[in-house]
Amino acid sequence: MSWRAASGLRPWLLQRLSAVYLAAYLLFSVVVWVGGVADFHHWQAWFAQPLVNAASLLFLVALLGHAWVGTRDILMDYVKPVGWRFALLSLFGLAFLISLGLGLRGLLQVGA
Amino acid sequence: MQFLIYRYDPDDGREPRMQAYELDGFDAGAKLLDALLRIKAELDPSLSFRRSCGEGVCGSDALNINGRNGLACVTSLAELAQPVTIRPLPGQPVIRDLVVDMSQFYHQYRAVKPWLTVHDPAPETEYRQTPAERARLDGLYECILCGCCSTACPSFWWNPDKFRGPAALLQAWRFLADSRDQATAERLAELEGPYRLFRCHSIMNCTDVCPKGLNPTRAIGKIKQLMLKHLV
Repeated sequence: MSWRAASGLRPWLLQRLSAVYLAAYLLFSVVVWVGGVADFHHWQAWFAQPLVNAASLLFLVALLGHAWVGTRDILMDYVKPVGWRFALLSLFGLAFLISLGLGLRGLLQVGA
Repeated sequence: MQFLIYRYDPDDGREPRMQAYELDGFDAGAKLLDALLRIKAELDPSLSFRRSCGEGVCGSDALNINGRNGLACVTSLAELAQPVTIRPLPGQPVIRDLVVDMSQFYHQYRAVKPWLTVHDPAPETEYRQTPAERARLDGLYECILCGCCSTACPSFWWNPDKFRGPAALLQAWRFLADSRDQATAERLAELEGPYRLFRCHSIMNCTDVCPKGLNPTRAIGKIKQLMLKHLV
């Protein structure tokens, strides 16, 4: 068995690993935000720091990867007709790609 | 005591229905199977259900009892809320009354090749195991294949043809964990893909209902770990 053939293990592993990162990032964010974010400029300066910016980028990718595996799992469980499943998978895939684009644009603008 | 029992006879052309029965005078410590046997003997000989050993060893009388899968023979009447609602195992084709067609369940069980596979020549006397190696099979070999776990699993309801189900996966791990078995790679490869093993989302209905107190969810987790170990 190879990684290429591991069509069940790979998504499962992706979901597990991304979950760990999401939890860590969210905990970190909550601590920072409870500590106090004064205003928009403060917020912008915070996300402009290279490390925070990179961590947030990774968060975005992890979040969408995690959501993609979960959505795919739900659709595989509940949506049997192939046409419907394909349509819904495409719809969610597109929505996630657009979210990724928008998120990337925002973060890179702040970081630049 | 009041009972509400699922009735269906494919030959009488009627829709499935719930039928009420009332029966009293049970001994202290009587089990649900005692009640079913008395209902059949005293009230309604047409009621159909499976049973054999009557003491939680054969696994024939798995039923959905007050919404929860269990064995009628080890479920005490005293612990059940009334009316005791009895349905066949969920998600399986009903043959008649409480008797379901378990073909898919057995198909998935056979598919994991639940027997020892050894490529080396057989030893002259016997296969040897250390006590520690033997101990790894505890909590796995005790399964009686009653089907309570797999038929309580939503993933098995939605994909009974593709997902192996907790009972078969527990047995898959029972042979993967066996020090004498030499087919680890083949067994793991057979379980790969998005459906056979990975439809399990670890909701643990299986572990919750197992009348033998086994933990298929843990076994499934161990298979995933072993798969990962084989790849990295």
